Amino acid sequence: MSELIADDERKNNRYHFDRHTPQYRLQFEKVTEEMHRECPVAWSETYNGHWVAAGSKEVFELARCPAVSNHHDLTGETPFKGISIPAAKRQSGVRGGMLEMDDPEHRLYRTVLNPYLSPAAVARWEPFIDEIVRASLDEKIESGRIDFVDELANIVPAVLTLAMMGIPLKKWAIYSEPAHAGVYTPEHSPDIDRVVAMHKEMGLDLLNSMFEIRDNPRPGLVNALVEMRIDGEPAPDMEIAGMLGLIIGGGFDTTTALTAHALEWLSEHPDRRELLSNERDTLLDSATEEFLRYFTPAPGDGRTFSDNVEVEGNQFKYGERLWISWAMANRDPSVFPDPNELLLDRKGNRHFSFGLGVHRCIGSNVARTVFKSMLTAVLDRMPNFRCDPAGTVHYDTIGVIQGMRHLPATFTPGPRLGAGLDETLDKLQRICDEQELARPITERKEAAVIR
Amino acid sequence: MKVRVDSERCQGHTLCKMIAPDSFELDDIDGTSSPVSELVPPDQEDAVREAVHSCPEQAIFIEETS
Repeated sequence: MSELIADDERKNNRYHFDRHTPQYRLQFEKVTEEMHRECPVAWSETYNGHWVAAGSKEVFELARCPAVSNHHDLTGETPFKGISIPAAKRQSGVRGGMLEMDDPEHRLYRTVLNPYLSPAAVARWEPFIDEIVRASLDEKIESGRIDFVDELANIVPAVLTLAMMGIPLKKWAIYSEPAHAGVYTPEHSPDIDRVVAMHKEMGLDLLNSMFEIRDNPRPGLVNALVEMRIDGEPAPDMEIAGMLGLIIGGGFDTTTALTAHALEWLSEHPDRRELLSNERDTLLDSATEEFLRYFTPAPGDGRTFSDNVEVEGNQFKYGERLWISWAMANRDPSVFPDPNELLLDRKGNRHFSFGLGVHRCIGSNVARTVFKSMLTAVLDRMPNFRCDPAGTVHYDTIGVIQGMRHLPATFTPGPRLGAGLDETLDKLQRICDEQELARPITERKEAAVIR
Repeated sequence: MKVRVDSERCQGHTLCKMIAPDSFELDDIDGTSSPVSELVPPDQEDAVREAVHSCPEQAIFIEETS
């Protein structure tokens, strides 16, 4: 007993934390303030018991702590359960790619993806992204009505992610709907069978893409993963499948969620919208970071302690589970003055929305670029848009993604600038193939040329 | 003012480059940051200080000379 404090003493900061309930979404600010004031690390009995880190200092230290593991042991023989709390019911039998690995294994996979996703690599895609945005808006611009989720923010990240992977662009809908619906559809929903079936179709297409590209290589993230070698051997198929699932999961619904929330907020604050549009040269970057902080599309991640360790005065034991809340750390007043105010020109905004440490969201540069393209195009072409609160559907819960299902809006109609989406996707596919846009930055430096 | 980026800590969040584009450069392959020069020109000092405050990994260190 000398060095081991009794469990109830270790866990004397207790908080009933259930982020999967609609109440957590509705009372997010209240729960966050309570946890910051009273905890800011607490033991919660929910989901077989786990720690919750809400304070910025604790989140900062725990996310970078060597005794905190992302590993997911699918055999269940050890307590390592990866990043989901509770474990997903629809277990797919694969780890969640490198996000459920620790170094040095994680680093092997990350190194393979980096030259496709670095700032320089992503910048090459800007003209391509702008063209998908242009075509998506052209589909609706003459009508004066758009659903920003269904008809813009679901499309652009999906098409771009597939392009980067080396999967045909016209398949975007096979991927987009299950990636989106899989997050917001609860297990008890009458729609769950349809969503699970769509998910299977998507998974099958991913595996087929992997086999197809292995036989007939074409540039992109899939090719990078099938060509990688670990001690001279190819990566296991199931790990590649996990990586591909992670790319889809990370690339799709998160940027959709950010864009939808930002557009909804700008509709509610037309003076801020006008300011942002007029002064975008100085405000666009800081506003983007502030939308990321304030809405935190991916609100947290699970971890497992791989050792007994003391962090910021809290004692944790091997095998205990931990929820690291990026969303609550993002509202810590000790780092972010007036944390519940959205300030487009916020300074010192070292937000937690892309995570911290070696697992920093590898798609962060993609997310920012796609978000800025969609946002500025809407500001230019639909400057007086008004979102319709009656038709707006937020996710019921924000335990996994703080997202939206629908965000209908009206605006003064304008002229089309070019071809519609289908024709544009055909053209972009041709450009992708001819210019080999999906090559890594080490092999291709030039930006896409849209003719 | 002198500036240094701890390459062990930097994870390529890119905020420093966004805030002080003349003072930091990002690696083409993984986006990690390094100072353009150790000595910060006087007209960039404020931007570099803001980059220090904004770094999510707290990986940028400055030393006030004078």
